[in-house]
Amino acid sequence: MTTGRANSIIPNSIIIVGGGASGVVLAAHLLKSPNPDLRVALIEKRPHFGQGMAYSTLLSAHVLNVNAAGMSAYADDPGNFARWLLERGLANPDQGPFYAPRSLYARYLKELLDELEARERETGRLRLIREESLSISPTASGVEVALANGTSVVAHLAVLATGHDEQPGAGQGHAIRMGTEADTALDADARVLVLGTGLSMVDAFLSLEQRGHKGEIIAVSRRGLLPSPHRKGNPIKLDVADIPLGTQLSYFVGWFRDLIRENQRAGIDWRDVVDGLRPFNQKIWQNWPSSAKRRFVEHTKAWWDIHRHRLAPQVHARVTEAVQSGRIRPVAGRVVGIEAGDQFTVQVQSRHTQALETLEVARLYDCTGIARDISTTSNSVVRSLVERGLARPDPLRLGLDVSANCEIIGSDGSVSAKILAVGPLTRGTFFEIDAIPDIRVQCARLSKQLLG
Amino acid sequence: MLTKKGKYGLKALVHLAHLPVGQLAFVGDIAAGNNIPKKFLDAILGELRNAGFVHSRKGKEGGYRLARPAEEIKVGHVVRVLDGPLAPIPCASRTQYQRCEDCNEATCQVRHLMLEVRQAIAEVLDQRSLAEMRDIGLDDLAVARNINDLPVAAKIQA
Repeated sequence: MTTGRANSIIPNSIIIVGGGASGVVLAAHLLKSPNPDLRVALIEKRPHFGQGMAYSTLLSAHVLNVNAAGMSAYADDPGNFARWLLERGLANPDQGPFYAPRSLYARYLKELLDELEARERETGRLRLIREESLSISPTASGVEVALANGTSVVAHLAVLATGHDEQPGAGQGHAIRMGTEADTALDADARVLVLGTGLSMVDAFLSLEQRGHKGEIIAVSRRGLLPSPHRKGNPIKLDVADIPLGTQLSYFVGWFRDLIRENQRAGIDWRDVVDGLRPFNQKIWQNWPSSAKRRFVEHTKAWWDIHRHRLAPQVHARVTEAVQSGRIRPVAGRVVGIEAGDQFTVQVQSRHTQALETLEVARLYDCTGIARDISTTSNSVVRSLVERGLARPDPLRLGLDVSANCEIIGSDGSVSAKILAVGPLTRGTFFEIDAIPDIRVQCARLSKQLLG
Repeated sequence: MLTKKGKYGLKALVHLAHLPVGQLAFVGDIAAGNNIPKKFLDAILGELRNAGFVHSRKGKEGGYRLARPAEEIKVGHVVRVLDGPLAPIPCASRTQYQRCEDCNEATCQVRHLMLEVRQAIAEVLDQRSLAEMRDIGLDDLAVARNINDLPVAAKIQA
């Protein structure tokens, strides 16, 4: 035991609720602490740790949207994943940017956790619990997490790392998620409709191809924009002193468009400008007035997403070919009516002409993306925190309201010292916090904050 | 480098930050109260409106007010809008880079140090809100004045 004073400041026991990618990355960072009294419990309801939504796909065509060089689990060792691939002969040292299959990334996280588990077996600092968490309750000395098997786990504090929602958002009607139980066998020539034209739609297209599906895929989103491809480049160098902060959205967008134009005139690719801004994205978001945040989410985010969250070049080539051959038909518009019968009769209104088109489709897939109203979450831990007023949605309802230190904020505005959150749940505060390069930095910072 | 434009803009915003919430100020009053040429101030307030720091109303009852509480507007954010990237000398900027005619930027140690200085400028100015600047106590100003006045006071006593 350390001295009484240090003990009251540094929590020794931490429960991580959610053993997907963010949970494993957080555990790895916490366990870097030399503190022999540290206890980390990682709780995951799926049979495998480190997979979550993003990395549970077995399809080799489902590759990472980030080059292997950017996917290390450790903030202070950016080459960790790339080295792991090389050491196992899974990548070639001189092949250039490598977009690894996501299943390989799941294996990387699994091996990383296996190593941690082996290393900590003697110390007892890491405990893996395969069980569903039901709720978190603050107690006099810490927190208690109730599990579905009727038992509970206690600790000084708990960190939510529950990631993305598993169920489609409300109002998606008859749309189902790909790969769920409702996604039964389809006639190979059946026409299907996909809600969304972004990265999730591309995943759905690749899955359908894999299953031998040949029918038309109609992809509908408000703007009908498809993601752009990656290209090897060099992000431009910017300092925070160069970037207008705290302005209204139109001013910022004007500045950014001018910056892209100037750089393009100098022969620099727009991707290098978009990527050059990345280190400042959280700062830009946090300094915007709430009106700018709301406008961005409503009007600008779709445009931003296709430029910022790009496709591996080989995947982009397949999508482009599918669009040219008519296999994928992107539609800018919205679904105004769905009638269920033998088939679904779907009415789509065009964004540009307002004309109504009636389509017969065999299935509707929900690929509207990972963002949804948090107050309708299917996650019982998050829902119960909100219902008891221990947590509240952020003003834009992208996630839970958290402080800059990742502490959840209750319905009365009080900041919790015992319940924290990382990853996509903290989107309202950190905005770009869906990808490993951002999550690992958040986890490193949180570990330092909690354990010193 | 803070230009006259930046300084006038900050003074105008401090003027607005003193008003009760929702009350508008005439451009003429802000100009007269702060010794700012009115035409210049018109242009400055126009830019601040485009960036979303002030609201304006046209007509007889028109004028300017802060678009957000003074606590939420950071000094550094205003300076970037009026003067461009924070930079102690024109070559120490990534986006509005202006080459010095008399030196080589790759080997110029002055520029390298000034790139560091701009980070420090951003750290100070982005932490301070308009409200904090407004409330810099007259006590502090009085101390500064006393120091200036010291030799005079000493003379009188002598």
